[in-house]
Order: sequence, then structure tokens, then C-alpha cells
Amino acid sequence: MNTDLNSKALASVWAPAAQQLFFRKLMTAFSFPGCIETMTPEIQNKDFSVLRMILATLTDGEVTVADPHHMIDDHDWSKLETNRETPEKARFIVARGDIAPMFSPGLGSLECPEMGATIILRVEHLGRGEPLVLRGPGIQSEKEVDCSGLGAAWLCKRQEWNGAFPLGVDMILFDTSQVVALPRTTLITTKEGK
Amino acid sequence: MNPYYELPQDEAGYSFGFLDEYAKREVRRNILKAICIPGYQTPYASREMPMGRGFGTGGLQLTLSLVGRGDTLKVIDQGADDSVNAVNLRHFLELTCPGVDTTEQTQEATLIQSRHRIPERQLTNAQVLVLQVPYPDPLVVVEPSESRRKIMHGEGDYSRLLTKLYEDIVRFDEITISHRYPTRINGHYVLDPSPIPRFDIPKLNQSSALTLFGAGREKKIYAVPPYTNAEPLVFDDIAFRTEDFTDEQGVRRSCHRCGATDSFLDEFNRDDGVRIYQCSDSDYCNQRIAVHMLSAGEGAL
Amino acid sequence: MGYVAIKGGGVAIKGSLEALEALRAAEGERGVPLSLSAIENQLRLLTSRIVSEGGLYHPRLAALAIKQTQGDTLEAAFALRAYRSTKPRLTSTPVQETSRMRVIRRISSAFKDIPGGQMLGPTYDYALRLMRIDLADESPEVFRAIAAKFMADTPVDTLPETYPKVVEALRKDGLLPDAPDHNIEPFDITREPLIFPIPRSAVLSSMARAETGSLLALAYSNMRGYGDVHPTIAELRVGYLPVLLPHPVTGEVIEAGEVLITECEVVAMYESDDNKGKPVFTLGYGACFGHNETKAISMAVLDRALQKGMKEGPTNPSEDPEFVVLHVDGVDSMGFANHYKMPHYVTFQSDMDRLRTTQAKAEQKKGSQ
Repeated sequence: MNTDLNSKALASVWAPAAQQLFFRKLMTAFSFPGCIETMTPEIQNKDFSVLRMILATLTDGEVTVADPHHMIDDHDWSKLETNRETPEKARFIVARGDIAPMFSPGLGSLECPEMGATIILRVEHLGRGEPLVLRGPGIQSEKEVDCSGLGAAWLCKRQEWNGAFPLGVDMILFDTSQVVALPRTTLITTKEGK
Repeated sequence: MNPYYELPQDEAGYSFGFLDEYAKREVRRNILKAICIPGYQTPYASREMPMGRGFGTGGLQLTLSLVGRGDTLKVIDQGADDSVNAVNLRHFLELTCPGVDTTEQTQEATLIQSRHRIPERQLTNAQVLVLQVPYPDPLVVVEPSESRRKIMHGEGDYSRLLTKLYEDIVRFDEITISHRYPTRINGHYVLDPSPIPRFDIPKLNQSSALTLFGAGREKKIYAVPPYTNAEPLVFDDIAFRTEDFTDEQGVRRSCHRCGATDSFLDEFNRDDGVRIYQCSDSDYCNQRIAVHMLSAGEGAL
Repeated sequence: MGYVAIKGGGVAIKGSLEALEALRAAEGERGVPLSLSAIENQLRLLTSRIVSEGGLYHPRLAALAIKQTQGDTLEAAFALRAYRSTKPRLTSTPVQETSRMRVIRRISSAFKDIPGGQMLGPTYDYALRLMRIDLADESPEVFRAIAAKFMADTPVDTLPETYPKVVEALRKDGLLPDAPDHNIEPFDITREPLIFPIPRSAVLSSMARAETGSLLALAYSNMRGYGDVHPTIAELRVGYLPVLLPHPVTGEVIEAGEVLITECEVVAMYESDDNKGKPVFTLGYGACFGHNETKAISMAVLDRALQKGMKEGPTNPSEDPEFVVLHVDGVDSMGFANHYKMPHYVTFQSDMDRLRTTQAKAEQKKGSQ
């Protein structure tokens, strides 16, 4: 196989082959909450960012995206072809983990729990920082993942939002090269047992 | 109509994986939500595929949205790689996904699309199983209205379904559901596990692999995440019974080809009228024979 | 590259495809392959049906679908619909006004005469259904001269391009309710699954690409008495509708091309309108790609029946949206009907196990009595 062609095909976040590979990582992340998925070197050129990769893979004209912390630039908005919306109504919300959430995301309904938002949250480091202890589907008994740059307010709010299954929000945490997923079914406690 | 209009040859070309990127993205979004809400039937705008509804278009759309170079695909129907439907789907995937390998060996596959069986060999956390579903909703037998069913599912209220099962027991002393046995996932949603036999239901429970379900005609995707409880609905005093392969003497039948006594067996009559039993999972059977021949060969040396 | 070797099942499939091709070319030495143009033109109405049921306006591809499926309308519509699946959504057009249609046929049963006149156009309605034996051995020279002679004999300049809509006159006279609001977002059946209750736009778009025979049977049931639409055709028109949409860069409205469509509006029993004002006639609407009047009429009758059913509750199958809409799509229905031919032996094994266990229990019970 021609590896030059392959790396060209993968080099852009807009390339179908890159989105397929990245989606598989996201799917693995959601299947095994707490497992850190890393971007492969081929996809890291100078225009690459994990956030752009997530948005290019998951969003388009059929969904809505909220950007309360102004993390998406204008060029990306036009390339994504997606629709801007407020955090209360958007299917996807991009936010900073170090700023406490000032909005109430959609939690879905009993009939349509899938309408609960997906929150794409930037943190400082995955694999370093405060340990989070995870339990639930996708985890054999318990899984620990370290995370820095995730404010306590987020964990508090998440617990409130996800208090009545099947309603809830699902999260993707990202840093400069990795992602971790937290479906609404994952129970999170901090090491102190809170 | 313009009489000089030529068929645009270049337009007629298909993209990798047949589906356009928007269709794949929509399926992918719904896969993630399905994993986050285990057992919930996520609606999606199922596309028409070049094979008929009922032939696995739901499972196929999942596979086409997942597969890429580097994947190794296994396709089975009734447990067999050589069954006509499996052959057809595999051929389609080979045509539309150049660069994707196919295999019969369960352990070599990264992605397995299956109709009506889960492979005998235990799957790993590096594998994904896609099951083809004709009827996604176990509540259809007790409630014709979809909007009312969705509320029942949301509330986890399956009392009417349990009543129906109980009526079976009163009439027949047995739960008569053979395949598609309603199964509760993670203590909440009850799903239809697709027409897999009861024999395969325990494989869903705490599996290392993600199991995805695709209903093309009914336009639903649902999932059982890895390491998740999948419990068939039962009553305290009526056990969940898998298919019985014991003979009149109470001995568990074996496969006439490989001798296995732990696999689901197909039953059929040979030309000479003798009834025989054979592993439904053809790869499981073939690998057992290969191992046996290898060790027989070594013994002979 | 690893691929699974072809064995029994694969060989059978390969053989069946070869047998199909051999039948398609069974004329052998005397055979002439059908040209797509011949199908599109000489089998114009069949092509229209496939364009409509495939849900993709591409008559040339519809002709190809007919050719490759040896004339099976369900298979041909299926092939075109599957092709449609691969086409990405670029944009949606604004609402198109059918009064802009470049008409080739236009009649009304409600009135003896209508503004613009009753234009019979190309129809078999008044043709005698006698076998045309002369077509059994048609001379190519005679065939080729037909169209030219027709065009030479027709005074083109005297025909108006467009005609006013009959329903507009009925509305002006207060006999029909006002036209509905065009600013509502129509339900997109190709993107959203149908979850009942569904809006009228979902019903109409499902029927627009439904299988003609399925729609006809259900509409017929209503006409015969399992319903009370009692329709009168206000207008049926066939023609070329210009497709207008905004230019992707300038935003100016341009004509992208035109599509052949059939449109039928039926007037049915009168009822009091919703605001308890004076009673008015009720309207049923049907429209589809291509020239297919039976389908458009059936659609219009069912639209009226379903509007009644959705408002007052169904009293007949043709008034029940779930019954009608879920069972008229030819691709869905033929796929599922034919899937029963696939192997089902594992589930059957499971059924046999249950039956044997239940039989054994019944025997035991009998034995112990």
C-alpha cells in the first residue's frame, strides 16, 4: 500500500478517511468510558486541532452547535456547514472545562432521551491531575482516569443533569491530543469519595 | 426531455462505503447516543440500500459507517460465512470498501456483521459485533402505538410485557418465546436482541465487545455497551431456558463434523433419511476440525 | 489483501446472476439490445412510474433500471431509490407554484368548461382498448415519420404556456377554504423516521413515491364504500414544472430545469370549517413525478380520506394514516415480502425446540391424568 497516498488522505480533518478513523476512536472512548484515546501522528499537521476533528466528524447541517465560550473560529463555522444555536437548545455544546457552566443544556425527554446534548469539553490534561473514579457500562468494575482543568462545578452540574436516567447529557473531554468520553450512564466519584 | 442527453458516467460512480458522508455522519451520531443510552432504540433516517429491506440493510448501514482501511470484516448469516445472504453482503462490502480485508475466522475480525447468531468464540474488546434486526421493539406485541411505547420504555414500565409472558406460562407451563427473547439492559431498557436463539442471549451479558443493532426498515439503532448487564426477562420461579440439545437418553448431542457439545446445532435430514446435527457456527466447527487434524497429525508423528 | 474464498453459496449466486443475464439476452442471434432512449420514449409511462416510485427525477437512469431488471417495476424502482441514497443533499427549493406548469394536458370533471379550456392532451381515456395488430410488425420508416408529422400539423403558436388553477376560482367563490400557509417546514421523510401522529406533509411525501398499485387498491377501497370521499376532480394537469431555486452565490432566483409532473386536486364532501363558519368543500391533493394519472388521483382521494381520519379518527383502513402510510412504499414492502425466502433455519430450530418442549409437557400432563 502506498503510504504517501495514505498520509495525504488522512492529513485533513475534512477527509472522509480521517473522520472514519477518528470516529472509531470516539466510539471506543464511549464504549469504554475513561479510556484515553490518542490522535495518531499522521493526522497531526499544523492545521489540526482535536476540537476541529471532533466537530468535523460529528456535526453538519443536520444538527445545531452552541459555542458560549467562543472556541470555534469563523472559518470553521463556514466549513462545518452547521447551525448555531443557544446552549439550551443545541445538540452539541463546546465549552471550557475551567469555566463553570452558566447554562442548562437539553436533557432530552422520556420519549426522546437521545435529544440530550453532547458536551464537548476542553480540559488541560487527560492522564494528569485529579483522579476521577468511574463505574458503569463499559467498565469492568472500576476505572480511574486523571484529569486537570476540569472545574468541580462541571462534575456537580453533571450529576444534577444526569440524575434522572434516561434524561441526561453525554460528554467528550479533550486536550491537545487525546479524548475521553463520559456517557450519561457513567457514575463519577472523586478519590475523596464525593 | 433532451434527446442528446448522455448518462453521466462519472456521476454514476459510488463513494467509499456506498453511503455519502452525511448519511454516515448521521449514523455515527446515533451510534454514540445508542451507546450512551443502553438498549434504547435511537431513530435514524435509514437509507435504501441495494439489497431489500429484510436482507440486513440496517446492519449494513452500521457496518458501512464504521468500516475503513485497516479493518477486517466477517459476515455471517445463521452462523455460516457461506450462507447466500452473507456471501451477498460480503461481496457488496468488498466492492464498495476497497482496502478492507474479509475473513471467516472470528478471532481475525475487527468488525463482525451477523444475522441471527452470535459467534460461539468469545469476542474481545477490540472487536465490534453488528446484529441485523427485523423488529426492534419488544413492546409491539402489547402496544401498537409507537408514541405510547416510547413512554413505556422511558419509564422502564414493562408490566404489560411481563403479563404477556405470564399468560404463556399459564397456558403452556413454559415461556414459548423461542428467539428474539426480551432482554433488559443495564437494569432499564428492554430490547429485542434480534432473532438470535436463546442460546446466544448469555453472550450479550458483560461481553468484552460492543454489540450494535441495526433495523433498516424500522429505522432504529440500539446498543449493548461492553461490560453491561443483559438479563433475559424471567420470573423468580420460571428459569430462563436455552435450547435443549439432549437426546432421548438425556445425553447432550454433538456436532457430527467436529464433535462439539457446547455449540448451537443445526438439525437436518440427510439424503438417506438420517437426522444429523452440525455446528451452526461454521468457523467454530472448521477451526475445531483443523485443531483436531493438527493434533492427530502430531500424534501420528 | 485478504478475501474469503468463494464457496457453495457464492457459486450459487454467481450462477443465478448468469442465468438472469442469459434470460435477458434469450433472443440470441436475432436480439437487439434495448437502447435507454427507446425505453424512455416508447415506454414513457413505465419510465414515469419508475421515476416516481424511485423518488429520483432522472428518466434516463430510470430507463436503465427498467432495462437491467427486465421490466420488474418493483426491482427497477428499488435500484433507482438505492442510487438516490448515495446522492448528498445540497439544498432545498422554495415552494414551487404549479400554476407555472408548462401544461401538456389539463382537464376538469367539476365543470363543463374552464378558463383556458379543457385540453385533452395525450391520454388513453377515450382510446378504444382494442389490440393494435399493426404494431406487431412496425416499419421503422413509418415509425420515424410519426413525430415529425405531428409537430408539422400542430399550430404551436396558439397554445398558451400556462393555465390558471381551477381551485383558485373555487376559493374566490368561497366554496373552498383558503389556501394553507406555505411557510411551514415540510416533514422530511428521507431524514426523519415516521413517528405517529405525522403531519400532512409527511403523508403526502410518502405517497408521492409510493407504489402505484398499493395506492390504487387502498383508494379504490374508499371509492367503493370503505370510506366516503365521493370525489370530483376539480383539476388534473400534466406538464413540465420549472424548478426555481436561489443561485448559490448571487441568491437570485433561477430556473434549474423542469420536471414532468402530474397533479390532481379533488373536491369532496363539504364540511363546516374549523372556525364554525359557513361549510365549504374539502380538498384532496395528489402529485407525483412523471405522467401517472392513476397514482395522482389515488393520492388525492387518500389525502382527503386521511385528513378526515387524522381529524376525526379513522373509520376505515383508507382513513388510518398508520395503515396507509406504512404499507404503500414499494421498496419497503417488496423487500420484506421477499426476505422470507432467506434462510431462517436457526430461528426455526429455536421454534422447534419450544414446540417440542411444550408438546412434551402436554404429554406429561395427559399421562399423569
